[in-house]
Amino acid sequence: MKTNPRLNSDISRQLDLLTRRERGRLIAGLVNRLGSQNLELAEDVAQEALLTALSIWPYRGMPDNPAAWLTQVARNKAIDRLRRENREQVYDDTLDAMRSEENIRIDPERIQDPELRLTFLCCHPALEGVDRLALTLRVVSGFTAREIADVFLSTSGAMAQRLSRSKRKLKDLEKSLTEPPSIFEIESRLGAVLMVVYLMFSLGYAPRSGAELIRRDVALEALRLARELADDKHTTKPEANALAALLCFQASRFDAREDATGKPVLLEDQDHRKWDKALIDMGLRYLGSAMKGPEVTRYHLEAGIASIYATATTWDGVDWETIMNYYARLEQITDSPVVAINASVAQAFAGQPELSLQRLDCLVKRPMMASYTPIHIARAEILRLLGRDDEANESYLTAIASGASSPVIQHLEQRLASNL
Amino acid sequence: MAKFALLLHHAPDRYTKLSEDDSMNVMKDYIAWVEKTVKDGIYAGGHKLSATAGTEVTSGTDGIVVHESPLAELPEILGGLMIVEVAEMTDAIELARNHPHLVHNSRIEIRKIEGED
Repeated sequence: MKTNPRLNSDISRQLDLLTRRERGRLIAGLVNRLGSQNLELAEDVAQEALLTALSIWPYRGMPDNPAAWLTQVARNKAIDRLRRENREQVYDDTLDAMRSEENIRIDPERIQDPELRLTFLCCHPALEGVDRLALTLRVVSGFTAREIADVFLSTSGAMAQRLSRSKRKLKDLEKSLTEPPSIFEIESRLGAVLMVVYLMFSLGYAPRSGAELIRRDVALEALRLARELADDKHTTKPEANALAALLCFQASRFDAREDATGKPVLLEDQDHRKWDKALIDMGLRYLGSAMKGPEVTRYHLEAGIASIYATATTWDGVDWETIMNYYARLEQITDSPVVAINASVAQAFAGQPELSLQRLDCLVKRPMMASYTPIHIARAEILRLLGRDDEANESYLTAIASGASSPVIQHLEQRLASNL
Repeated sequence: MAKFALLLHHAPDRYTKLSEDDSMNVMKDYIAWVEKTVKDGIYAGGHKLSATAGTEVTSGTDGIVVHESPLAELPEILGGLMIVEVAEMTDAIELARNHPHLVHNSRIEIRKIEGED
């Protein structure tokens, strides 16, 4: 498709951000007012509002406050829809509440942030783990069924079906009209919510496909939710603080992780001056709060590892001993091959590349790992370190064939070329 | 200064077949153009006409007849209009030259608005 690059780059970024960011916010706001059984209606009218914007804004220009404009249009559409379905009897009160901003009940016993509430709703215990995450990604973060399908190695048709099944399930389950989750429900769902926020951040931090190296809006929304969780008095548990700390540390490197042309910069080559000191400090504060309880969760250990990178002033100053120690405990807790891959990489940097390679060779035989790009990248880098260039190149090729975001693919092709 | 209407025509099925991403890309170009002309103090408003079939009211030997306009049979429909305020027609032509409508479609009709100079 022809475009007009001269004019469009700023507006383009602004609109991408707006549509992705606003979709979740619009849905969350509507669900807050209309109740969770209207989740699908909320999704529909949010989508219609965005399409209306795309149809009218080219002729009228963008409104002064696009977010407020979208909210108003979505609300009017919701009211129309409920009217048309002859449900005004039931929803009279709700509609009244929707018309004025002042009528929103501020209840100190409830979580305040609408998107966080919506995340709690999507993390209903009646849904399976995968469905919770898929639904949150769809509803709160605005990913398409196809993008979510990529994450779970599924097809977009199957994922669309799963998503509508989840929504139907929620509709049947949630009887209350506008009640957000109770304190008890918050406690029992917190673990799932933390996991969803963690995964949402990972998807933004290292997208598995697409043109961008980092989908900052997605990662930063996850960071925002993690901070809300750590700061809200109902959810400020040690593991919530640990997650917030971890995400602060990871997000502090965004500017250093890609160069001016959007290509990735490896951790060892990053300019530490580009790390966001304010985020690192914030991470250390959250880590301090996370240490107040006796538990050590995976978020604690991962935040601990990230804090070592974040506070080392040079690459040579990284404390690999402590990192490996944290990884050993992390592997015990998670039994995750992904953690094991990261642990192996740390082992290679700690001066044991042969042992690291042996572990990766075992790991690659585990289910799903053959098509998991990072393991092939890790093998390639370690083989390269060991001077085994032919085998390294083979791994680079496998990694490229397994798929990644286009900047990562380009980077791998360069690594491959420099090895030939 | 005078006002000119830019009438943006397009094929009736131009936008019905586009995916959301593709139509988003088209719209971005238009929005960028409008934003820029607003900033330059040239843009004087515009309207998007609904892409669904309009209604025609015709007067003839049978009296007044109301029917749906034969949208799909037309070679082009009017998608909307944009009004710009510039000194003269040549300036309006210059604006039209750089209009994204000529990237994504092929024809802009410029009409001077009477009595607005």
